[in-house]
Amino acid sequence: MKKIVSLIKVSLNHDMNIFKINSKNNKILTRYIIPILLAIYLMIMLGIYSNKLINILHPFKLEFIALTLFCLSISIISLIEGIYKSSSLLFNCKDDDLLFSLPIKKETILFTRIFKFYVFELIYNSLFILAPMIIYAVKLTPNWTYYISSIISILILPIVPIVLSCIIGYIITLISSKFKGKNLVQTIITTAFLLLILYISYNMDSFIDNITKNAQSINDIITKIYYPVGAYISLINDFKITTLITYILVHIVISVITIYVLGKVYFKINSNNKKVINKQSKNNNKNYIIKTNSKTISFIKKELNRFFSTPVFITNAGFGLVLFIIACILLSYKSDTFINTVMKTNTGTNINIDFIYNIFPIVTFGIITFTSFMTSITSSMISLESKSINILKSLPIKPIEIIIYKVLAALVIMLPCILIGDLIIFIKFKFKLTSIILLLISSIILPLLSELIGIYANLKYPKLDATNDTEIVKQSMSSTISVFSGIGIIGITIVLLYYLVKKGLSNNLVILITLGIFTLITILLLIILIKTCDKDFKNIE
Amino acid sequence: MLEIKNVTKKYGSKTALNDVSFTVKDGEIFAFIGHNGAGKTTLIKSIVGIHDFDEGEIIINGKSIKEDPINCKKVMAYVPDNPELYENMKAIDYINFICDMYEVDQETRETNIKKYAKLFEIEENLNDPIISFSHGMKQKIALISALAHNPKILIMDEPFVGLDPKAVYDVKKVMNEMIKEKKIIFFSTHILDVAEKLCSEVAIIKNGKLIKTGNMKTIKGDKSLEKVFLELEG
Repeated sequence: MKKIVSLIKVSLNHDMNIFKINSKNNKILTRYIIPILLAIYLMIMLGIYSNKLINILHPFKLEFIALTLFCLSISIISLIEGIYKSSSLLFNCKDDDLLFSLPIKKETILFTRIFKFYVFELIYNSLFILAPMIIYAVKLTPNWTYYISSIISILILPIVPIVLSCIIGYIITLISSKFKGKNLVQTIITTAFLLLILYISYNMDSFIDNITKNAQSINDIITKIYYPVGAYISLINDFKITTLITYILVHIVISVITIYVLGKVYFKINSNNKKVINKQSKNNNKNYIIKTNSKTISFIKKELNRFFSTPVFITNAGFGLVLFIIACILLSYKSDTFINTVMKTNTGTNINIDFIYNIFPIVTFGIITFTSFMTSITSSMISLESKSINILKSLPIKPIEIIIYKVLAALVIMLPCILIGDLIIFIKFKFKLTSIILLLISSIILPLLSELIGIYANLKYPKLDATNDTEIVKQSMSSTISVFSGIGIIGITIVLLYYLVKKGLSNNLVILITLGIFTLITILLLIILIKTCDKDFKNIE
Repeated sequence: MLEIKNVTKKYGSKTALNDVSFTVKDGEIFAFIGHNGAGKTTLIKSIVGIHDFDEGEIIINGKSIKEDPINCKKVMAYVPDNPELYENMKAIDYINFICDMYEVDQETRETNIKKYAKLFEIEENLNDPIISFSHGMKQKIALISALAHNPKILIMDEPFVGLDPKAVYDVKKVMNEMIKEKKIIFFSTHILDVAEKLCSEVAIIKNGKLIKTGNMKTIKGDKSLEKVFLELEG
């Protein structure tokens, strides 16, 4: 037991250092104030949403549905995120050699890593479900059993997604470890799993219909759809100690079985994984290519190599970009259904088919904004240098050049996908030339701004001592800042677009004004980066 | 010429380098020795521009590393103690990348890469990813990429660690060739025998402070460098 506690303490102490700011004057306030502000900002936003939802459900006395929705959503998000986190959190750690050489059971090492995974999921889940739970409590003033059930649920809800992620992560690692192109295979299988989950989520209608027909109550429906949330809702509606004990026991049993079974194969799969990594070409190959490139091309090639050899990096950034293309295809393919629905629901108003067609450039602009700010590649690029940052620091290139090359590499990854999406929309909706030009400029400016924010956050919050890439891509301060600032920008953009459209401005003018604001922010951020990046880059240690 | 003038570097309240000064002239092989944590790597990282330092000046061929880092770095090459290279790259791609950053022309890089890859017997592995390499092989790749751009000053941190005996011999041979061309070699080491035989100058650092510097023969006199070092450390 002492070993487990000691291992967990060391590993959490190391990993929880995500809030370390890159500053010589590393004061406690500076270190904690930004994460706390971000958490408050997110919780206020979620609080507002849940308040609205509870108000809508209040007349039907179905307020608990709001909690159900939040709990189900966060469980799906946890599962999706967990799938591409688990393979590298559990199986590709830099401290494998150290830990496996120590006199510790393999199951203990696995348990520590799963526990670390759990702690992070617990923090993220809490950020998302605390606000709705508080709003529910304020609005309905339930008795003490609500609080007990909610606290226990907060602790329990991450378990099933983590268990499923670990099992899927194990399968992915097992399959990919048999291939030479391990990273590529891992990325393909992970993406396939994620698309499968999305597909299932969108095609749940008949499954839910079937459950609804056979269920006796809404509680019953939720429990049949997803037991952990169903049990929680049962507890807050009708608290029974037996339900609570079963709820806890089921999750403990699931966790113990998973750790026991995975622990049996853990060492073997880790060793197999390393065998592939250590494989050198058997052919004596002296036909290497000595080739001169410009600094820019060479640097971008290096960055692309890093990107495409890091499965979690590809899935994290690439998934959003693939979804963008899918969204563009769906928008084109299902536009008629969408238009008909809008026309039907707005009969008698001044909304006509021309208005709807005219609004599509703004919709496209919104989708580009969403994709750009939800995809941050540069927020991990400096951290992923890890200790090889010293190579960069010793090279005769200016820090600002390094920053620009990294942003360019990110744009090389993003722009082709965004432009393909644009092209699909342009062909389908036959936009006017002015709209096309504005949207094409947007497709460059918005990703550029997003990547500048990412690199700025990573300069301020580098994480060079991560034990695996997932910690950098998914659990670092810089990636969290990029995601939250992205959500904020998307929210503000939607409000701005709505306000400008409502003012009766032409669509192109609406896009032009919004784009103008983004361009100004981009220029401003670029100036700040030019002025500060020398010092920030030097301070990275 | 490499001039270290009153360099002081602090990590919080701990002084890592305390008023360190010495000069390395063209054509000199300079050994930098000291116990673990004495400040050797900190000084080396300050010279090559990885670390900033709080006081003093480092002048490389008449230029300050603080004022003109790019031109200083152009004439230097750095081989770290633990070669943390870009592991997902093939060895040849890594070397090409470093050459591109130093803007090495095609002819020079072809000559140098082939020459040193052959010397270090790693030609057959240049198409392999670095992640599959042993420590020694990574060290050889770091050495090839450092030497590929004909640096005037070669800075190395524990260059012999992890190398096989043949590679150690080859590195020493390369160092001697460079000295003939009036280049500077500055390296830290714990292998005092090698330092004694190879170097014309030596500096001994203890707890961030330089306790002895100068000509190797003058410093050691009739004793071995090991004995002198142990006496000073004691």
